[in-house]
Amino acid sequence: MDISFALTGKGYVIVAADTTAARSIVKMKVDEDKIKVLSPHLLMAYSGEPGDTVQFAEYIERNIRLYHIRNTYALRPPSAASWIRRSLADSLRSRRPYAVNLLVGGYDTSTHTPHLYWIDYLGTMSEVPFAAHGYGAYFALSLLDRYHDPEASVEEGLATLRRCLDEVAKRLVVTPEKYKVKIVDKDGVREVEI
Amino acid sequence: MSIMEYNGGSVIAMVGKECVAIASDLRLGNQALGISSNFQKIFPMTDRIYLGLPGLATDVTTLRDTFRYRLNMYKIKEEREIEPETFAHLVSSTLYERRFGPWFIEPVMAGLEKTPSGAYKPFIAATDLIGCINFAKDFVVAGTASSKLFGVAEGLWEPDLEPEDLFETCAQTLLNAVDRDAYSGWGAEVYLITKDKVIKRTLKGRMD
Amino acid sequence: MPDGSFAHSQQRSFNPYTDNGGTILAIAGADFTVIAGDTRQSEGYSIQTRYAPKVFRLTDRAVLAVNGFAADGNMFVKKVKQRLEWYRHAHAKDMPLRAIARLIQTMLYAQRFFPYYVYNILGGIEEDGTGAVYSFDPVGSYEREACRAAGAAQSLVQPFLDNQIYFKNQTAAPGQSHPTHLPLPDVLAIVIDSFTSATERHIEVGDGLEIYVVVAKGRSPQGLDTMRGVQEMSARPDGDRMFVIRRDLKKD
Repeated sequence: MDISFALTGKGYVIVAADTTAARSIVKMKVDEDKIKVLSPHLLMAYSGEPGDTVQFAEYIERNIRLYHIRNTYALRPPSAASWIRRSLADSLRSRRPYAVNLLVGGYDTSTHTPHLYWIDYLGTMSEVPFAAHGYGAYFALSLLDRYHDPEASVEEGLATLRRCLDEVAKRLVVTPEKYKVKIVDKDGVREVEI
Repeated sequence: MSIMEYNGGSVIAMVGKECVAIASDLRLGNQALGISSNFQKIFPMTDRIYLGLPGLATDVTTLRDTFRYRLNMYKIKEEREIEPETFAHLVSSTLYERRFGPWFIEPVMAGLEKTPSGAYKPFIAATDLIGCINFAKDFVVAGTASSKLFGVAEGLWEPDLEPEDLFETCAQTLLNAVDRDAYSGWGAEVYLITKDKVIKRTLKGRMD
Repeated sequence: MPDGSFAHSQQRSFNPYTDNGGTILAIAGADFTVIAGDTRQSEGYSIQTRYAPKVFRLTDRAVLAVNGFAADGNMFVKKVKQRLEWYRHAHAKDMPLRAIARLIQTMLYAQRFFPYYVYNILGGIEEDGTGAVYSFDPVGSYEREACRAAGAAQSLVQPFLDNQIYFKNQTAAPGQSHPTHLPLPDVLAIVIDSFTSATERHIEVGDGLEIYVVVAKGRSPQGLDTMRGVQEMSARPDGDRMFVIRRDLKKD
C-alpha cells in the first residue's frame, strides 16, 4: 500500500509520496513518481488500486492541461480540486469506479494562499492544513497535530515532514525506502531531495 | 460497516418563538480515524433557509452542489426565492429520484416561512435517505448521534423559546449528545435564524 | 434436506437469551440515593406486562436495579438476596454496600462463559453515610459513579444526565462552581424528566415508573416523607429510610 503526506506552511504546500510500485509481495519498481504536476502551481499525489491510479491521474492531468490551453490561464486550486472531486464522485456510482485517493496541493496566485485538499476514492473532499493517505496516516496525523505550524518556513515544514517519514520508517512493518517530495509556492513547482 | 456511519456526523434543528436554530458537529472521519475537524455539514440555501446534510461525506458535497444548481434554476424560472415548505419537497423529490440507489444522506432543514400577512413562521423538517419528509413542530435530528440527540432534546426543549434561549438549548443538546458519540464531535457550529438576521456561532466543545 | 440419515450435515441452534427492553437509572446524592426503573416488560413489538418491577430492595440501605433479559435478571436478584440472607445468618448484620458490589462482581464473573444477560445498577448508602451508585456490565466489570443510566434508552438518557448531573458543557458563573451533589427534589425532577423523555421517544420504555429513594440515617428526607403518593418502607424509623414513589408513564 502506498503512502503519501502533504502539509501547508507559510506560502507553500509540500507533497510527498513513496516511490515503490508493488504487485502483491514483489517490488516491481523503486523510482515511480506518484506526484503529478497538473499546472504551474498545482500538484496531485495519487495512490490506490494499481492501474486505476495512473489511468485516472493522466485523465485529470490532460483535462486540467486542456483547460489551461483553452483559457490561457490555469484553473485555481479550489476549482481544480472541486472538479477532480466531482470526477471521482461521478465515477463512484458508475459501472466501474476508480479506486484512487488523492492529495491535491496548490498555490493560488490570485489570493497568494496555499491550498491543500484531502480527497478519497469516494469523492470525499476536505480542505486541510495537513493530510496523509495509506498506512502513513495512522502514524503521521498525530505527529502533524503536534508539530504542524501554518506559519512555518519551508525548512521547518521539511523538518516536520522528516519526522513523519522517520516515524513510518521506525514503526511500520513494511517501510518504503524512498520518497519523492515536491513543493509548490509562488514560484511554481520544484522537487527537493529529502 | 454501515455506509451511514462511515464518515460520522450529526445535525439537529429546533423551533423557537419567531426563530429557528440548526446545528451540526464538524468532524470528518474514516470510521475511527479523524480526518478533519472543520468539515461543514450545514449550508445556506436562501437568506433564510439552511440545510444540514449528515451522512456519507462525498454525498454531502455532491448534494450541496445539486441543491445550489436546482435553487439557481428555480430562482431564474420563478424570479423569486423558494419558500421553506417548497424547498422541503424539492429535497424530498431530489432524494426519491435515487430511490433504488440512494444518496446516503438524511437532510435536516430549518428556515423561516413568509405568511400571507407578511410575518415569518418558523419551519423545520427532516427526511430519510430516500426523501420521506418529517414535518416536526418541535425539533428534528439526524446522523450518528441521533438517538442521543433525541434523548437530550426531549429533556431540554420547550415551546416558544426566545432566540438566545433557543441557541443555548440547541448548543447544549448538540454538545452533550456528540460527547457520547464516537463518530460525532470535533467542534460544532450553530446557526440561529431570526426574521432580521442570521447568527452563526462556532463552538469548541471536547476535541476527543 | 435433512432425512434423519447422516448423509447431510445438520445444524440446530437454540438461543437462550432475549431482550426484554426497559430502562433503569440511579443517581447518588450527598446522603441519599435514587434508583429508578420503568415497569414495562416487552419482547420485540409485544408488551408482556405493564408491571414487572426491575428495581429491588436488597437490604435496609441497598437497592438493585436489573435490566436486560428479565428471566436472568429475576434469577440473579433471587440469588443475590439468598447470599445476603446467608450473610445475615453468619454475621448477624446486613452486608455493607461496597461488599454487595464486590459480591455482585464475583457472582457475575462466575458465569463468565454463560453470562446473566443483564446490566445491574446498585444504589444505596455506604458505611460512611454517603450516597453511592455502582454500575456493572453483564460479566462483572464495575465502577462507583455519581449517576448511571442503563438499558434500552441508555443512549437517550445518559447524555442528558451528563448535562444535568455532571454539568458537562456548562461553565459556572465567575467565582462560582457547580455543586458536586444535587438536593433530592432536583434529582427527583431530573429522574422523572428522563423517564418521560425516554417514554416519548423509545417504544420499549413506558407504562409505569418506580423510584426508590434511600436516605442515610439521621438525614432529612427533604420533604419526601410528606410528599403525596410516597410509600415508606423503612425497617426502623430511626435507621436509614427507604421510600418508593410510583408514577404512571404513557402506555402507548
